[in-house]
Amino acid sequence: MNRNTTDPVDGVDRRSVLAAGAAGLSLSLSGCIDSVRSVVTGEEDDQLSLSIVTVPRDDNRETVQIARHLESNLQAVGIDADLTVRSRSEFLEMTLIDHDFDLYVGRHPADFDPDFLYEALHSTYADESGWQNPFGLTVREIDRLLEAQRLADPDDRKATIEPLLEEIAVEKPFEPICRPTEYRVASDRFEGWDNSHLATRRGYLGLEPDDDVERLNALVTDARPSRNVNPLSATVRERGTVVDLLYDSLGTLVDDEIRPWLAEGWEWDDETEDDGTAATVTLREDCTFHDGEPVTAADVAFTYAFLEDTSYTSATHPSPAPRYRGHVSAIDEIETDDEDEYTLRISFDAGREVAERALTVPILPEHVWLAELNDRIGDLDDFSAPQGRWGIVTSDAIDPIGSGPYQFESQSERDHLTLERFDDHFTLDEEDDTLDADVHLEPTVDEIRFTVDPGSVSSIERVASGGADLTESMLEAFSLADIPEDDGIERYDDDSWTFYHLGFNTRRMPCGDFRFRQAVAQLIDKEWVIDEVFFDEAHAEPLATPVTDEWTPDHLEWDSEDDDFVTRFLGSDGEPNVTLAHDMFEEIGYRYDEDAGRLRHN
Amino acid sequence: MLVQVLMQLAVVVTLMVIVSIGLFVGRYRLRETRTEWRGRIRAAAPITVVLAVVLLFNSVARQIVPDLSWMIGWNLTWAIYDIEGQFILWLQDQATPWLTAYFSFIYIYGYVFLLVFPVVAYFALSNTRPLRELLAAYTLNYTLGLVLYIFVIAYGPRNMMPELVEALLYDTYPQYQHLTRQVNRNTNVFPSLHTSLAATVTFLAYRTRDVYPKWNVVAILLGVSVAISTMYLGIHWAIDVVAGIVLAYVSVELAHLLVGRWSLSDWVDGRVPTIGGLRNRDP
Repeated sequence: MNRNTTDPVDGVDRRSVLAAGAAGLSLSLSGCIDSVRSVVTGEEDDQLSLSIVTVPRDDNRETVQIARHLESNLQAVGIDADLTVRSRSEFLEMTLIDHDFDLYVGRHPADFDPDFLYEALHSTYADESGWQNPFGLTVREIDRLLEAQRLADPDDRKATIEPLLEEIAVEKPFEPICRPTEYRVASDRFEGWDNSHLATRRGYLGLEPDDDVERLNALVTDARPSRNVNPLSATVRERGTVVDLLYDSLGTLVDDEIRPWLAEGWEWDDETEDDGTAATVTLREDCTFHDGEPVTAADVAFTYAFLEDTSYTSATHPSPAPRYRGHVSAIDEIETDDEDEYTLRISFDAGREVAERALTVPILPEHVWLAELNDRIGDLDDFSAPQGRWGIVTSDAIDPIGSGPYQFESQSERDHLTLERFDDHFTLDEEDDTLDADVHLEPTVDEIRFTVDPGSVSSIERVASGGADLTESMLEAFSLADIPEDDGIERYDDDSWTFYHLGFNTRRMPCGDFRFRQAVAQLIDKEWVIDEVFFDEAHAEPLATPVTDEWTPDHLEWDSEDDDFVTRFLGSDGEPNVTLAHDMFEEIGYRYDEDAGRLRHN
Repeated sequence: MLVQVLMQLAVVVTLMVIVSIGLFVGRYRLRETRTEWRGRIRAAAPITVVLAVVLLFNSVARQIVPDLSWMIGWNLTWAIYDIEGQFILWLQDQATPWLTAYFSFIYIYGYVFLLVFPVVAYFALSNTRPLRELLAAYTLNYTLGLVLYIFVIAYGPRNMMPELVEALLYDTYPQYQHLTRQVNRNTNVFPSLHTSLAATVTFLAYRTRDVYPKWNVVAILLGVSVAISTMYLGIHWAIDVVAGIVLAYVSVELAHLLVGRWSLSDWVDGRVPTIGGLRNRDP
């Protein structure tokens, strides 16, 4: 089943039709479910109860194990904890869009720069749906520190981030658990797998295939790309490998540094009126989108304005995209010049490092998205664009046209997504002398197919038997032993920005109380998790703070000897010390009922 | 990968069916079948068409059922998991490599054989009623099963307790995941259609025990093995299996009630001259 690209509007989007039909049904059933639940869990009482949501083993074996560890420890101390599993996209829908959770266990995509915390925690976003502040945290001091690190002088930034990380460790909107090592295996039909991180655009560029190889077959254990590649959707992906291939961004990450990519270059101007900075960006001329339309400064300006308000001022309230909120918020103003289609001036409410990160968002073609928007608006009087949920940020029917090194070829649900090389990509222009061979890697192989595979073990087997070239999805730790000792297949290890964490919904009591969050966080034995779930210290490292090593202050590095609430596990070998835990909860206002073995509200 | 697994499955099941025809059906019935096959096909044709339509509809419906289910959102995993959990763990404690190999074989090959062979065996009977009841019961299983799948989202034990319940089938023989993924979603565990279809065959084998006494014994053994295999391999909860058996019982009873109630061939006979009729008139 190929995707129908001739119909840009999903007026009869399958999901929305179904949603309309199911809405009545779900209302009529919800009472029913509650009664089932009270039959199962016993009579109503004031026992403390919490629900933990995560994804099933088929989607992530590790998160469900961590969630069960926490569930059993919460139960051991007398809390009525239950575990809910949802498929990947339903899980994100529940946590990011609907905020319908107490606790969740997941893997955060994070980023190379600690400024991802701005998006994740700033109180401005507490009411928005998407990757922006799903925890609903509203702490003035954290807001202030998030803003301060943005404007800090690059030399002082690490020092400004330190108090922020301390404040986060105290407030605990989420508890970082561990950072995995990203393992993948790849065949020897290509060379250059270890040149760049395989979760980024560059991982797929500049590869050297054997002479007869025309297709790179990468296995994904996540079927979502075979269904929807909408670059704005919050729920169809955690990180953006495919989007990075379809769409160019002004800059791209090369060895910890943002280098010009779609932009030919930029000039910084730090002498702005405010504390921020500004850049004059020059675009490459003659770049086109996959449909042949030129990429101009107007598209860039449109992209940032559109991400800020996906209704493009047509709706009464702005409807920010559920992604890239932090990137876009660093931008103060964009000025284009009517005379010059390839130059624009961007001023930032942030210092250079944060400003550079803002240059990594995918550049969208104005003509495609405006047409899409106009089709959806129809009647202005009756138009609304529910933030984070409306068609344009969720639909799978929008032409995935970017200017990136690969273009959309076809997709088949639960089977594959196929991209083909975009022969007009700027990196393939042999006459362009502004290209730097180390930065502007070319798309070499004709076609990249992301094939959906059921799991790590079968993916490894498939690469080993020559049926595929790469396991794109990170391999689960338990499957590493299955990698054969073979010349034709090799394992590649990449450091990760992503981290496993426990998220709290601070909008709901008791998780709204930071002391309660601190107490719950002490019931996760991170070292036990490393041993039991990841099997080896090399496969994951326990974390006390969510940023990468270079940004981690000394005293927030993991130290198993530390005995403060930041890192402590209240117990040993994965088992909680129940007496100490009861004291801890009683100290913050709960009552342990010895007879019933239940922790109650006071 | 998938093609390879399918080929292997086809070859093994064909061999099993051939051997079983020799063992249970016998030469006498085969000879009779050679002369009567036209009439039998005519008798079974309507229900076969219905079954084919249901299966086709099923494969289309399975594309949207998950979406619909999530929207209804009647997620019962937690309830099942609260109620039991321990039984599956106990069962898995009994695991040995031989048992794993046996139950994996049963789950894939034994199951397909169990579904295919009775179609052949009942076709070899002059009385087409068991064949029609079998096909009707299959149809009912799929139809009622699909309705339950729409309403109930539940993940199996292997998805909830990966550290305790080993996904024995997929870890030991990952290639089978390519096959099962084609026919099943991981949220469709309640009821166990594996169990219900196997139990359907077993119930009908019991009804036809006078005709096929030896098959009755084999069907019971296989049916029980299939039901256990789904739990042993961590794919289903015990509750799913119980629900599967209930679904099978309901389907078999309904099939018994419904089959023969409307006769398409009587209706056709009255209006169109049949091929046989034409031929009889010939000389």
